[in-house]
Amino acid sequence: MKSASASAAVVKQKVEAPVHPMDAQIDELTDFIMKNCLWQFHSRSWDRERQNAEILKKTKELLCSEPVDLSTPHDRVYWVDAVCMAEDFRAHYPWINGLSKDEIASVMQGLKDRIDYLTITGSLNEELTDKHY
Amino acid sequence: MPLHEFECSKVIPERKQHAVIKGKGETLADALPQGYLNTIPGSISERGCAYCGAKHVIGTPMKDVIHISHGPVGCTYDTWQTKRYISDNDNFQLKYTYATDVKEKHIVFGAEKLLKQNILEAFKAFPQIKRMTIYQTCATALIGDDINAIAAEVMEELPEVDIFVCNSPGFAGPSQSGGHHKINIAWINQKVGTVEPEITSDYVMNYVGEYNIQGDQEVMTDYFKRMGIQVLSTFTGNGSYDGLRAMHKAQLNVLECARSAEYIANELRVRYDIPRLDIDGFGFKPLADSLRKIGMFFGIEDRAKAIIDEEIARWQPELDWYKERLMGKKVCLWPGGSKLWHWAHCIEEEMGLRVVSVYTKFGHQGDMEKGIARVQEGTLAIDDPNELEGLEALEMLKPDIIFTGKRPGEVAKKVRVPYLNAHAYHNGPYKGFEGWVRFARDIYNAIYSPIHQLSGVDITKDDAPVWNTGFSTSRMLSDSVLSDEVRNSTTLRQYSGGFDSVTKLREREYPTFERKAS
Repeated sequence: MKSASASAAVVKQKVEAPVHPMDAQIDELTDFIMKNCLWQFHSRSWDRERQNAEILKKTKELLCSEPVDLSTPHDRVYWVDAVCMAEDFRAHYPWINGLSKDEIASVMQGLKDRIDYLTITGSLNEELTDKHY
Repeated sequence: MPLHEFECSKVIPERKQHAVIKGKGETLADALPQGYLNTIPGSISERGCAYCGAKHVIGTPMKDVIHISHGPVGCTYDTWQTKRYISDNDNFQLKYTYATDVKEKHIVFGAEKLLKQNILEAFKAFPQIKRMTIYQTCATALIGDDINAIAAEVMEELPEVDIFVCNSPGFAGPSQSGGHHKINIAWINQKVGTVEPEITSDYVMNYVGEYNIQGDQEVMTDYFKRMGIQVLSTFTGNGSYDGLRAMHKAQLNVLECARSAEYIANELRVRYDIPRLDIDGFGFKPLADSLRKIGMFFGIEDRAKAIIDEEIARWQPELDWYKERLMGKKVCLWPGGSKLWHWAHCIEEEMGLRVVSVYTKFGHQGDMEKGIARVQEGTLAIDDPNELEGLEALEMLKPDIIFTGKRPGEVAKKVRVPYLNAHAYHNGPYKGFEGWVRFARDIYNAIYSPIHQLSGVDITKDDAPVWNTGFSTSRMLSDSVLSDEVRNSTTLRQYSGGFDSVTKLREREYPTFERKAS
């Protein structure tokens, strides 16, 4: 538990946002995730790192028609979020259907960098590094 | 995203760190209100205490349990029956509340003897109930009563009973959220893994962070049962004590309220390797996606899809009737914790409302991240507001309606802002497809209630206008701006479900699905 005055004294160093050539498209996908998804907001930074990495990796694999690893129950949970998101991406942002696999991979890497920035590296949430749930 | 300073709180400068307005082109990395801090002296908070969070919010929805507070009777009284978490065992846990009625003399001489006497009396008075939760309060925590020792003594004397001790006195956290945390961790430490359940399905899950407000849990478990899923436990609405001791045997934890229950979901993942899936049970699209995800996880997506198709075909025309009439209405979305993010986006998408402010009384910064992420630019986000700030925000934003709890809700009514109970609901349940339409219906009835025509007339004044023009009905008010096409639509219709949408679910027969060969 923090006191108000102690907490107000802590000012996090501002982290620069990542830049990508397809930033406009990444803006759209980021907005969709922020408004419609919950998986990116687990309570601790290590959980957010895992969620962002696994779900966005599987989303990219689905968008690129690549095989998806479903070998563990955890994989299946990441996958179900990825399936819904990939379908929504295709439905709401038809430009994604015109991209090559390499372009999709690049956009998805840029998207992961952006989500990592907003939810972890650039996040102002002071609970992210609390060691106990 | 600039911080927002309320005029009324300029004398409490720390408060400026607790409110922001979502700015154009700015992100969560630019500003975030402080959260889950000790309430600032001088700011009259609307929060509850950690005891309230543990007992009233999380503990008491457990249905087959004697819930006893070890402390003054006021602690129990103030947490009794103010939240409508019903249960399918005739609402045992709502009907009865128990306190050891600690007085001054017990503070001086100790209250352990009193506690034991009360425990034995309670089990004797309700011989059909064999489970109990004892809640610590500030007074008995400060005098050092050893509740665990007394509970152990009783369990030795009465081997058929089981007792859970929740050590979350009121001062054990900045708000009720501290109590949520404590009871989550206490339950997994003390009770999970102490009962081995009978597994009846190939698909087994826990439903976590769901409190059966006016039947929400029963609506959702109805979908799960129709899919052939065994819901091993619900943490904690309409949940049974022994079911919750068996949480460790689930294949999946489906998490609804991450504010109150992510702690136990996280620990179940760490200790028992059970994955966590966060869902939204509110709103057609989020709910449909949630059911699909659960179905896909278990490999039974077709069963989920059949339910979704049936429910949307039944209820979409009714939701759309209200959407046409709620379009553009401004909302202050001021619930306690999780609903600020559960509802923020989908009430705009699916009901046409416009969220102009979100606030949370006890949420953490994580809740504000989710809420701010989901609202539009220009929205005011406030952490732990005091009453004056609430009034100032209402004056500034001029909302058409406010979704909040009883205390700020009654204040809003006095300044003629319609209020809908976001905690205990008005005419819920609000989860599920039908529930979402009931919510839209309640919003419509609140905004267009004819009473607002009269409530602004001060009849104590000599020059009050004479009311001789008659009243306009809700339909006259809401339909006056609609196109003929919408007003005379033969497909759109008002809510046509019954007064009670829950009891019928208790009598429902569910399909049986062949088990896979083991």
